[in-house]
Amino acid sequence: MSDTLFSRVIVPVASIDDARATTRALASHVDSVAGTVVAVHVVEKAGGAPDKASVEQRERDTEEMFDIVRAQLEGYDVNLETEILYGTDVAETIVEAAHEMDASSIVFTPRGGSRWIRLLAGDVALSLISESDLPVVVLPDEPEVEDG
Amino acid sequence: MSAGDQELARDLGFLEAYTIGLGTMIGAGIFVLPSIAAKQAGPASMVSFFFGGMVSLLAALSLSELATGMPKAGGSYYYVNRALGPFFGSIVGWGMWAGLTFASAFYMIGFGQYFLSGLGPYIPFLAESEFGITVAALVMAAMLTGVNYYGVKETGSLQNVIVLSLVGLILAFLTLGALSGPTIGEFNPSGWPAVAATIGTVYVSFIGFEVIATSAEEIKNPSRNLPLAMIAAVVTPTLMYVGVMWVSTGTLSIGALDASNIPVADVAAEFLRGFASAIPFVSVSPGALSTAGSIAMIVGAVLATISSANASILSAARVNFAMGRDKILVEWLNEVHDRFRTPYRSITATGIITLVLIAVGAGIGTLAEVASFMYLVTYALVHVAVVVLRRAEPADYEPTFQIPSVLYPFVPILGALACLAVLFQMIVTFEPMVLLGEGVVGVEIALPFTISIVGIIGIGIIAAGIAWYYTYARDRAPSQSLVGDAIAPEPAAATGSDGRYRVVVPVANPETERDLLRMAAASAHAHEDDNAELIAVNVIEVPQQTSLSQDVAFEEERVERQQELLSAARDIAAELDIGLRTRAIVGRDTGSVILDVIEEEDADHVFLGWKGSRSTREHVLGSTIDPVVGRASCDATLVKLGPEETPGEGDVMVLAGEGPHAPVAARRAAEFVTTAGEDATLTLLNVQQPEDGDEDQSPEDRGEALIDDLAERAGIEYMQYDRQIVVAEDIEAAILEAADNYDTICVGATRSGPVTQAVFGSVPETVGEEVDRTVVMARGPEESTMSIREAIARRLSV
Repeated sequence: MSDTLFSRVIVPVASIDDARATTRALASHVDSVAGTVVAVHVVEKAGGAPDKASVEQRERDTEEMFDIVRAQLEGYDVNLETEILYGTDVAETIVEAAHEMDASSIVFTPRGGSRWIRLLAGDVALSLISESDLPVVVLPDEPEVEDG
Repeated sequence: MSAGDQELARDLGFLEAYTIGLGTMIGAGIFVLPSIAAKQAGPASMVSFFFGGMVSLLAALSLSELATGMPKAGGSYYYVNRALGPFFGSIVGWGMWAGLTFASAFYMIGFGQYFLSGLGPYIPFLAESEFGITVAALVMAAMLTGVNYYGVKETGSLQNVIVLSLVGLILAFLTLGALSGPTIGEFNPSGWPAVAATIGTVYVSFIGFEVIATSAEEIKNPSRNLPLAMIAAVVTPTLMYVGVMWVSTGTLSIGALDASNIPVADVAAEFLRGFASAIPFVSVSPGALSTAGSIAMIVGAVLATISSANASILSAARVNFAMGRDKILVEWLNEVHDRFRTPYRSITATGIITLVLIAVGAGIGTLAEVASFMYLVTYALVHVAVVVLRRAEPADYEPTFQIPSVLYPFVPILGALACLAVLFQMIVTFEPMVLLGEGVVGVEIALPFTISIVGIIGIGIIAAGIAWYYTYARDRAPSQSLVGDAIAPEPAAATGSDGRYRVVVPVANPETERDLLRMAAASAHAHEDDNAELIAVNVIEVPQQTSLSQDVAFEEERVERQQELLSAARDIAAELDIGLRTRAIVGRDTGSVILDVIEEEDADHVFLGWKGSRSTREHVLGSTIDPVVGRASCDATLVKLGPEETPGEGDVMVLAGEGPHAPVAARRAAEFVTTAGEDATLTLLNVQQPEDGDEDQSPEDRGEALIDDLAERAGIEYMQYDRQIVVAEDIEAAILEAADNYDTICVGATRSGPVTQAVFGSVPETVGEEVDRTVVMARGPEESTMSIREAIARRLSV
């Protein structure tokens, strides 16, 4: 079962911290089936109103997230692809992309946050779970291991 | 997939771009300024609005050309910095930021006036007072800052609803106002100088179209939509402003307008009284109708001022970002919030300055004039930037919209002069200014003219920008001004190096290392007279958050791999009989490390391997390749290794096109063939379209001539080569088909300069991607920009 689930996962990363936490939780699962990780970040578009930040700025920021994913997957038997997506509805964009990329599942770790912040920032996790017609795997956020 | 993504990144059509601009322009200007403008110039202030619109129309033409040529975040700041260098970049960057904060403060006080003075009579606890207005403005400004900090989502449909309602409201105001028969008294009570001075006051209404340029990277089909949206977004409010002034000054007396904090609402209330009897079937009292009209205008004004201030705060963040990108401002300010995905520090900074400006009570007129001042300075320099870019013709500047040729030098020249004229009359009034009274030393010291408060603030902000340049930006932001190139547009002569021909070869993959070094060696061998040598570089990339030394300690494995890679390189070089040095480097970013190595070694050539697929939107060929190929000052060659065993040998083909770098590609091909010896052949291929150019020459003849010319320019006439000319309608398809018959394909870059959309040009990149052979893409050295002094010296020496 897990063979097929982790063979080609689409991994939405929302921020630098999220990229770090998600990759940490994910690496060994995909490694064990020599699967593919498609890391994606959605640049949210207002769809006609001025955006909060310029597209160029957010694309740069996304590259930093992908760099972290890349660095953390080094040494694992994992094939990494990255893709910047653009959309007005983050969850919908991820699900659509997952279909187009033939993903076996959508994988993320929950980011916590108060109700207030969820209300303001929108709860993408909930929408993903409720809207996706592909398997969605929610991995627990593993605490960082201090080495050395 | 990625094609679809790019569509979405550009999600603004004509209507959206237009409403974004219009939404910012129908702000406080139309609702607040009628009172100030009427006081200064009476009904003739409609002439001031008209000329303000004309000055903006000229700026819109120049800005459209720049924005379609360089669709980058930052708008006018970016274009001026690129064309005129960081000195003017600092002035415009700080000037725009200051202008946007003064404008936001102005909008917010306008909001406070309508909110308190307007609703006060209906909601008794809102008492109208100067203090109350300031508090309302502060609260709203803080709320807007908060909304943008947290990134609460706005949608395009909300934007459209607000803007279209405002347009409807103003059209209704104009129609009913005109029907009520306004009577203009004395047209020009204060004289033409006052009308001219009022242009400066009302110009703040017109700064909004800049927002369209700031969003250039998000506009679909920008060559059409961007200029159309800009021009429409200037013309529409100009006509509305003129109309509103006509109705306002025709309905109320100048004194009544001047005394009103909510001029447009008061005007509506006044003329609507007369319409009560005209409404059929229901009886409406004149008082109720005028109250309804007044409240409608108040609601409109509240929406308009909020939407203008909001757009200004967001624009300011983009100017900050662009300044940070060019190292004129600390990058710290531009960090994107981890959760809200907003540039929260920049937004907070803009918000705080706006709050301070509201709190110090500078006066709504002064706030408006300073904002106008900073934007007039900006647009004057934007016009200069157009002329400089047209003359310097940098390779990456290919505007898809150009100011029509009949208008060309006139629009920017007239535009710049118009901005300067308005600025001049804002700074100086011809009344003597006493600097030192007679009582002190017995002599009166006076200037023959007076410098206005606005002039002093404006010049102070410019001086601060200049001081910032000398204390901060000059050492960090490399001067890349194109003014020199504009003065003396001839290309600079190539300078010779110190004698040794050095080829830098970044190696990363043990499987392709050998072939890459062998091909680089072929190029180096051709320069044996110059003591050619190879420099193999490998970079261990370390993420930002770990220190360089710490990471290396933990990553013994990576270091070991690096050593193996480089020692293999030395073995290969010994076999190939070529001098080779190795450099093992730990760095943050492979691309910039390689650029540093090229600089340090004074290299003549950089030779890179490529996996052969175009990457996503943010990089064309790859995060390392793009900056190296885009900025390296020497020859740059990119090789995609094909499946056959000895790439760079066998049948080598060069695309003989008209591109500026075709001779470089031919030289590379010749080098490979020479090194490979007997078994290798060289073919120059040219593809012609059947009906192209004049009738006297057949396509075959044209191809022959082109190939001869290329061989001569490349200096390879001495060699044996075959010619092949293909006549086909679809050039790209013909190239791809022909390429299958050869082992190695060499293509010259079709563009030069550090480009944004393509690194080598679209045809070479398509060949690189599609052809299943060894593909070599080559370009010659990058010309660096000339300084103004060098350019003047060159001009004088001719």
